[in-house]
Amino acid sequence: MDRRKLLTLTVAGTGCAIAGAVGIPVLINMAAPAFAEKDGEDWRPVGPLSDFPVGAMHNREVVISDQKEHQKLSRRSLYVWRKSEQEFSVYSRACTDLGCPIVWDAGSEWFFCPCHGGIFDKEGERKAGPPKRGLWKYANRIQDGILEINVRSVPPMA
Amino acid sequence: MTMSKDQNKDEHEKSSALHTIIDRLALGPIWRKFFVRRVPKARWYYGDGATLLFLLGILIVTGFALGLMYSPSPETAYQSLVHITNVQAMGWFVRGLHYWSAGMMVVILLYHVFRHILLGGYLPPREGTWVIGVLMFFLVIINSYIGYTLRWDERSVYAIRVALNIFHRVPWIGDELVYFVQGGWTQGNATLSRLYTVHVMIVPILLLGLASYHLYLVVFHGVTTVPERVHPVETAEEQKELYDQLKHSKKEGETFFPYTMVESQIFAFVIFCIVLALTLTLGPQELMREANFTETSFPAEEWWFHWYSALVAYLPPQLTSWFYVGFPIALFLYLMLLPFVDHGANRGLRRRPLAVGLTVVVGLGLLSLTGLRLQSEWTAWPRAELAPLPQNTELTPSAQLGHTLFTKYSCFSCHALGGTGGKIGPELTRLTVRLSADELRHFISQPPQDVAMPAYGHRLSEDELKALVDFVLVAQTFPHKY
Repeated sequence: MDRRKLLTLTVAGTGCAIAGAVGIPVLINMAAPAFAEKDGEDWRPVGPLSDFPVGAMHNREVVISDQKEHQKLSRRSLYVWRKSEQEFSVYSRACTDLGCPIVWDAGSEWFFCPCHGGIFDKEGERKAGPPKRGLWKYANRIQDGILEINVRSVPPMA
Repeated sequence: MTMSKDQNKDEHEKSSALHTIIDRLALGPIWRKFFVRRVPKARWYYGDGATLLFLLGILIVTGFALGLMYSPSPETAYQSLVHITNVQAMGWFVRGLHYWSAGMMVVILLYHVFRHILLGGYLPPREGTWVIGVLMFFLVIINSYIGYTLRWDERSVYAIRVALNIFHRVPWIGDELVYFVQGGWTQGNATLSRLYTVHVMIVPILLLGLASYHLYLVVFHGVTTVPERVHPVETAEEQKELYDQLKHSKKEGETFFPYTMVESQIFAFVIFCIVLALTLTLGPQELMREANFTETSFPAEEWWFHWYSALVAYLPPQLTSWFYVGFPIALFLYLMLLPFVDHGANRGLRRRPLAVGLTVVVGLGLLSLTGLRLQSEWTAWPRAELAPLPQNTELTPSAQLGHTLFTKYSCFSCHALGGTGGKIGPELTRLTVRLSADELRHFISQPPQDVAMPAYGHRLSEDELKALVDFVLVAQTFPHKY
C-alpha cells in the first residue's frame, strides 16, 4: 500500500468512525419512542352506572393520563351509550378519517364530523363521507358499579 | 498646498484601510464571482427565487423574535402566544409578518416550481439544482404545517391529529410511526417538544444549508435563458456553450449586479409589500381556544392547505388510505425523477404543451378546490334554530308543527331551505323530483338503502310524521332562494 492510499483510508476511516459513533446512538435514541409499549392496559373510571340511563347518549370527560404537564390534553371527552342494563358502547370523539372531533346530533341520532363530512350512526357505523370504518370504541367493563374504559384500547392518535 | 496633501494622505489611508478589510475578509472573489459576474439577461418574472430568499430571511428573523418569548410546553405555550400577541410590544406585528410570510412562501414556492416545470428549468445541466430544490420544497411544506401546530390552540391539536392519522395509514408500521411522531402513546408533552425542535432547529438548519447549495448551483449553472427557450438544446455541453456565448455577448448579456438583481429585488419588494399590507390589515391568524380534546370544535387547516381538505372530502372511503400515504410519496417521486424522465430538448412553455396542460389543470384544480373548501357543503352540523320561511308564509297548524319538527329531528342539519341550512342532503326548495305525500311518508320512515339518511319510522308518531310531510310538501313550493 502506498502512502497516499494509506492517508486516504485514514481520512475516510476516522471520518466514518466519528460519524458512526455519534450517528448510530443518536438514531437509536431518536427512534426509541416508536417502540412504546403497545398492548398495555390502563383502566380508568368513566362514572357510576346510575349516571347513564339506558338508551341515552352521554358526553363524558375522562382523564386518560396522569402526566401533570399536559392536563388539558389528558382530558378527553367521549361518548357513552348505554345500550342495555349491562351493555355499553364508549366512542372516541376522534373521527376515523383524520381525527377531527365528532359531535352527537340528538335530532338525527347521528354523529357529525366538522371537517370532511364524515357521519356515523348511533352504533358507530360509518354512514357518509371519507371515513373508511366505524368509530373507535373503548373496551369497557363494569367494576363495583362503575363504568371503566381501557384508554389504551383505541389507536394511539385517537 | 499642505492641506490638499493632508487630504490626499487621509483618503489614501482610508482607502487602504478599506482595502485591508476587503482583503482580510476575502470579499473580492465574492464580489467578482457572485455580483459583478456576467450573466445572460433574465426576465422580471425570474424574481421568485430571490423573493423566496427574502421570505426565508424574514421568517428566520421574525422566528428569532418569536422564539425568544415562546414557551414550548403544553402548559404554557398558548399563554405565551397570547402574551406575544396582546401584550408584548410589536408582538402582533412580528407574528403577523411570520404568518403571512409563511403563507406567501408556499404560494411563491408553488409559482417557482410550476415556472420551472413550464420552462424545463430542470433540464441538463440543472438536474442537481432541481433535486436540491425538491428537498427544500418538502421542508418548506413541512414547516408551514408544523408552524401552526405550535400555536397550541384547537386548530393546532387537530392539525396534529390529522398528520397522525395520515401516518397511521402507513401499512405495517402505522402504530410505530404515530408513537414516533407524538413521542409516546398519546399526544402530550413530548409531541410539542418534537414539533418545536423540527420547526425551529432541524428544518431551518437543513433549509439554510440546502438553500446555500441551491444558490451556488444557480450561480454555477445559471438560470434558463431566453435563447435556450427559443431553440431546442439537446445536451448539457450544448447548453454550456450557448450560456457562455450569451453572457459575454453585448446584446444578450449583462452584469448581474445591479442589472439582473434590481429586477429580482423589485419582485421581492412587491411581494414583501403584500405581506406587510396583509399583516397591517388582517394581522396574525386569530387564536382559537387553547388546545383541548374536550370542547366541541370546528377546526380547519390554514388557507394554503384548503385544496387538500376539499380533495379529502370528495374521496371515496376505499381510496382514502391509498391517497393519504400515496400522494406525498407519489409527489416526491414525480418531482425527484422529473429531470431523469423528461428527455425533451425543448425549454420554454411554447414548446412544452404537456407541461402547460399540467400546470393549467393543477392550477385551476387548486383554486377551485380552495373555493369548495370555503363552502364546505359536505359538512352536516347540529342546528338549533328554525328554518327561515319566505315572508308572509301561512302554514297550516300541521305544517307549523312540521316546521318545528324539521329542526327538532335535525332535518335542517342536512337539508337547506331557500339557501339556508345543511347542504349535505338535497335542498328542499330545489328538488328535481317531487314526491307525493305517501312517498314522502315512506321515505322519511325508511329511506332507500343507498341514501345516507336516518330512518325515522320508529322515532316519529303518526301525527309527527304527517306534520313533517305536510311541511315538506309546502316547503318544496317555496322559491329557490329567499
